Amino acid sequence: MSTLHDITLVEVSVDVSATFADAARALSESRLSALAVVDDGKVVGLFTDEELLLGIVPGYLRELKHTAFLEAELPSLREHAVEVQGEPVRKHMRKPVTIELEGSSMHAAERFVHREEGALPVVDADDRYVGMLSRTEFAHALLKRLAAAAG
Amino acid sequence: MAVVSVAVFLSALVAIALDWGHRTKIALLGAAAVVLVGVLEEEQAIEAVDWSTLGLLVGMMIIVGLTERTGVFTYLALRVAQISRGRTVRLIFLLSGVTGLLSAFLDNLTAILLVVPITLLLADLLRISPIPLVLVEVMASNIGGTATLIGDPPNIMIGTARPELSFLDFIVNLAPVAIFTLIVVTAGLALAFRRQLQISPDRAGEVDKLDAAADMREAPYVKRSLAVLLGTIVGFFLHAPLHLEPAVVALAGATVMLLVAADNVEEALERVEWATIFFFIGLFVMVGGLEVQGVIDQVAEGFAEVTGGSRTLEALVILWGSATGSAVVDNIPFTAAMIPVVDSLQGDGFDDAAWWALALGACFGGNATIIAAAANVAASGVLERSGQPISFVRFLLVGLPVTAVSLVIATVYLLIFQL
Repeated sequence: MSTLHDITLVEVSVDVSATFADAARALSESRLSALAVVDDGKVVGLFTDEELLLGIVPGYLRELKHTAFLEAELPSLREHAVEVQGEPVRKHMRKPVTIELEGSSMHAAERFVHREEGALPVVDADDRYVGMLSRTEFAHALLKRLAAAAG
Repeated sequence: MAVVSVAVFLSALVAIALDWGHRTKIALLGAAAVVLVGVLEEEQAIEAVDWSTLGLLVGMMIIVGLTERTGVFTYLALRVAQISRGRTVRLIFLLSGVTGLLSAFLDNLTAILLVVPITLLLADLLRISPIPLVLVEVMASNIGGTATLIGDPPNIMIGTARPELSFLDFIVNLAPVAIFTLIVVTAGLALAFRRQLQISPDRAGEVDKLDAAADMREAPYVKRSLAVLLGTIVGFFLHAPLHLEPAVVALAGATVMLLVAADNVEEALERVEWATIFFFIGLFVMVGGLEVQGVIDQVAEGFAEVTGGSRTLEALVILWGSATGSAVVDNIPFTAAMIPVVDSLQGDGFDDAAWWALALGACFGGNATIIAAAANVAASGVLERSGQPISFVRFLLVGLPVTAVSLVIATVYLLIFQL
């Protein structure tokens, strides 16, 4: 009941040398909302759908708090989306938060409650990357375990 | 100990100017150092903090932060762009006017944070470079902020340090020269930039199509927030006859705003920029150290010797000196240190011309370099985060001539009307 061994992890990641386009494609194919950026087996960053969005839209959009007046597509949107493709993923990742494979599921639950990422990387005792755990998968597995224990 | 107080203050100024760390961390480190080594006693450190300045800042941050949610400032900026109908010079003048006006009655840093992101979007829609427009706005914000007691941090500090100077005194003595300077500077910038900012008619049509009021229709408490903001500004005009300090007016306005236009107090109070508040606290304590150690009096004496007691020379040296000082180190710490110097120079007397010279010098000097005023730093931050950074030199090439012209106007104004 305590560890994460019986929960399905998704073994995808992007290498730290990858481009924004590589990371975006991997994220899209994984159907997850976040991917580990890995350097020699260690998690060095997270690439989430937020980084994907921020990479694609013009930079000033994040400074704007009101945009209901915008109806047409921005002229710079397309060229901006092209420009960003070749940039290194290193420039577009956030600091990682990991979950230990051997840690308790309550600790993992606390992480998911306090973090906004929809998936977090799981690492083994040597701090090496094992796979991504999605919040949805984790919640469902936890529910299944409780149901099994109850009856 | 006098040497220590000077060394700590100058090191902090250098560290802030060279961007060695966040300015708040540096100011707090300096403040901690002067108290820990005994430059001033703990009680003296607490007395050195000008709580009125902090009250005024906190109150305005809450009022403006909650009004900002309404989208009214976005509406203003969009309408201005639509009214300009794709004419470059008209667009420059209108953006400059709106930024100047918002700076005068909100404060220039807030005005820049409101106007610059929308300008980046407008420039994108109009297919022109945003940097000339942002430069016009920064210049307009520092000049517009000069016009009132609440418009620019140096004025806030001067106004709260000298209760003799009311909100109306600031307007009567500074607004005319600020407006005139804004018109002259904007005209010069429009001449310089109009060729780079040619707008094609079909792009102007895109801006025309925007529904400027869309955000205001979605936002909560639009009328209440605007009523409280306007009521607070009216309160500022009346604070002297009502015998209320500007800080009391701002905090009362903020309280009303929290009562009528905020569902969640914690969320509303997040609008207070604590980093700025603690920056001021650190500065006040360091300057308090300089005062306690007699450094300020010595500077004032040296100053009086140089000017030979001439009132005219004194005001002009304050004007040009504070502009130079602000350009090099940031006008907030410079003004914090200059206020007690001017106080000491005046002894028991009171001459408002010296204070207007300080306000004009520090505020106009804020345009000279990219680090000279908080609004400049904020604007360059927004530009950088949106992938269109502006270099120190490019800013300087516009800022320095603008400051020189502004100071010449201020000099003539002081000579004719104040001295």
